Amino acid sequence: MSSFRASWAILTRRPAMLVAPTRNPSNFVRYKSTELKGVVTQPNSPTNSAGTLDIHLVPDHATSAYSPVPVPSEVRGPDEPLDVGAFSGAPIDLKSRTVRIFKPAKPATQSGNWNGRQWRMDWDVLGKGHRWENSLMGWQSSGDPMQGTHIFFKTKEDAIHFAEKQGYEWFIQEPNERGFKPKAYASNFYHSPKKLKVIRTK
Amino acid sequence: MVINPTHLAQTTRASVNWQDASRRAILSYRAWQRSAPEIVKTYALNVPLSAVRAKIRQEFERHRYVQQLPVADMLITKSNMEYQETLNYWKQIPHIMKYFRVEEDPKARVSSNFMNNFLEGRN
Repeated sequence: MSSFRASWAILTRRPAMLVAPTRNPSNFVRYKSTELKGVVTQPNSPTNSAGTLDIHLVPDHATSAYSPVPVPSEVRGPDEPLDVGAFSGAPIDLKSRTVRIFKPAKPATQSGNWNGRQWRMDWDVLGKGHRWENSLMGWQSSGDPMQGTHIFFKTKEDAIHFAEKQGYEWFIQEPNERGFKPKAYASNFYHSPKKLKVIRTK
Repeated sequence: MVINPTHLAQTTRASVNWQDASRRAILSYRAWQRSAPEIVKTYALNVPLSAVRAKIRQEFERHRYVQQLPVADMLITKSNMEYQETLNYWKQIPHIMKYFRVEEDPKARVSSNFMNNFLEGRN
């Protein structure tokens, strides 16, 4: 137990050293001198007294060029949406993406608008790597794994709850609802004491 | 070669209260720490035993401040599942070494300020 505590002390107090990664057993020095990463020591105050961020972002298992500025994940109270993102196993760059919740607009056709009855969640377009032209055939290539993924919800609150649970940044795009004025054929024949602007009858 | 799929398996259950959940978490932690020498030996890791122990501690500390019981339940369940997979030798060395990516790969570390990330080419 005491030897464990000693090695624990070594691991927490020495500063980090960058050593070239090899699997040579004689390179154990990097384990003695690296700081523990990914340990949130003070959950609600990531900024230290100097004003800089003191967060160690947990690195991902996969390689990704997209790495967000680490934002501290606040500790959620028991009444808030469950913090499913903590153990979902999703990659960091997925958890950090912004999500757009909207009702699809009606296309300019004379067909119906059944698609406009549901709320859709789309992953926001990436700044780089969203779409480029493939040099072989001119097809559209994409570096975005979520580019064709949509999740559908019955209500706006359901979509927000899902995004909150997963830890996504979300924003709502309110739909432009069509106005409808009820009309009656009989109103063509109403009497008007003034001069009629438009004569609707023969 | 006979594989016993239920060796080290735990029944699915939800914690009754926080006391139950912390008891289960501590049991899981003790099982992991006791098994650390066996992990290093069976997988023939180049990582020293103290680093494995510290890594186990780190992974548990990461979720120390969880305040939602269902989330804690799920974390305990996952810990037990990982434990079964590791001790039954169902995993391979790369799966264990995923936990040590920060120490092994210098590029895995994400800097906490913008400028370093920008110079590294992170979007």
